[in-house]
Amino acid sequence: MIVLVIALLIGILIGLFIPVSIPQNYSSYVAVGLLAALDSIFGALKSNLKGDFKVDIFISGFVGNTLIAMLLAYMGDMLGIPLYQAAIVAFGVRIFQNFGEMRRAILIKNKSFSKEEKNQ
Amino acid sequence: MRVKIKKPTGGQISIALLLLVLGILMSMQIKSVRQSNELKNLEKARAIELAEQINQLRKENVSLRQQIYDLEIKLKEYQDSAASISKTTELLKEELDKVKILAGLTDVEGPGIIVTLNDSKIPSQSNVDPNSFLLHDSDILQVINELRAAGAEAIAINDQRVVSTTEVRCAGPTISINNTRYSAPYIIKAIGDPKILKNSLEMRGGIIDLLKEFSIEVKIEEASKIVIPRYTGVLKFNYAKIKSEGS
Repeated sequence: MIVLVIALLIGILIGLFIPVSIPQNYSSYVAVGLLAALDSIFGALKSNLKGDFKVDIFISGFVGNTLIAMLLAYMGDMLGIPLYQAAIVAFGVRIFQNFGEMRRAILIKNKSFSKEEKNQ
Repeated sequence: MRVKIKKPTGGQISIALLLLVLGILMSMQIKSVRQSNELKNLEKARAIELAEQINQLRKENVSLRQQIYDLEIKLKEYQDSAASISKTTELLKEELDKVKILAGLTDVEGPGIIVTLNDSKIPSQSNVDPNSFLLHDSDILQVINELRAAGAEAIAINDQRVVSTTEVRCAGPTISINNTRYSAPYIIKAIGDPKILKNSLEMRGGIIDLLKEFSIEVKIEEASKIVIPRYTGVLKFNYAKIKSEGS
C-alpha cells in the first residue's frame, strides 16, 4: 500500500514541476477521465478490503473506464449532448457506493474485534 | 477475522505505474484549471485597477480645483489693491466684476427662489406611458427659460451654474448639466425678484401647471438670500475669435 501512495505522490510532484499543462480544449475530457480513474481506485480499495481484489480487473477497469469516459465526453461535444454528465453521475454515484461499502466493512470488522476481545 | 490481502508484486508495480500516471495527469489538470481561473481574475483585477485610477483622478481633480480657487482669491486681492491705487483701475474693476457675474465666473448671492422638481410618485400603470410621469430635460429647460424671461440674474441647477455654454440634455435616466450627470430631484436656484420669478412660473397655463398635470412634484420657495456657486468648468474658445475692427 505504501508503495502505491508514494507512486501517486511522485506522479503529482512530476506533474507540478513539468512545465506543460493540459490545453484548455482538452481540460474537460481529462477531468472526466480523472473521475473515472478515481472511481477505479475506490473500487480497488473496496475489493482490497473485501479480499477479492484482482490486478487484471483493476487495470482493465482503470484504463477502460478512463478511456470510455473521455470518449463519451468527446462524443457528447460532437453531438451537442452533455454526455460527460452521464459519466460524472455514474462514477460519482459509484464512488459514494464504494466508500459506503468500505465504511461498513471496516466498522463491522472493528465491532467483531471488540466483541472477541470482550469474550476473551 | 483479518482479511488477508493478496500482494502480487508484478500487479503492484503495474498499479503503481498507473497511479503515477494518474498523479501526473491530476496535477497537470489542476495547473491548467488554475491558469484559466487566473486569466479570469486578471480581467477582474484590471477593472478594479481602472476604477481605482478613476478615483485617483477625481481626487486630483478636486485638489486642482481647490488650487484654482486659491489662485483666484489671490488674483482678486491683487485687483483690489490695484483698484485702490487709481480711479481708472477702480472703474475697470467694477466692469470686470459685472462681466464676471454675467459669465458666471464668480459666486453670487441675493434674493430669489428655489424650485425643487421631482419625478411623480404615482405608481406606474400598465396602460400609461411611464415616461410622461418622469422629468425630462425639456421640462427643466422650460423652467429655466421662464426664469430668464422673468429677469433671473443667476441660475444654478443642482449647484451647476448655468452659463452660456451650459447644456441641459437627456443622458439615459439622468440629465447632463455642464457635463455632469444628475438624477431627480433637481433643485433650481435663481437670483432675481422672488415675487416676479415665482409668479412667472405659476401663471395660468404656465410650465408649473403643465408639470402638475403629470403630477410631477414641484416645490417653490422664496428666499431672501441664495448663494449660487460659480461655474467650475473651463471656458475654452477654439473657434470664436473677436472680430477685428476695420477688416
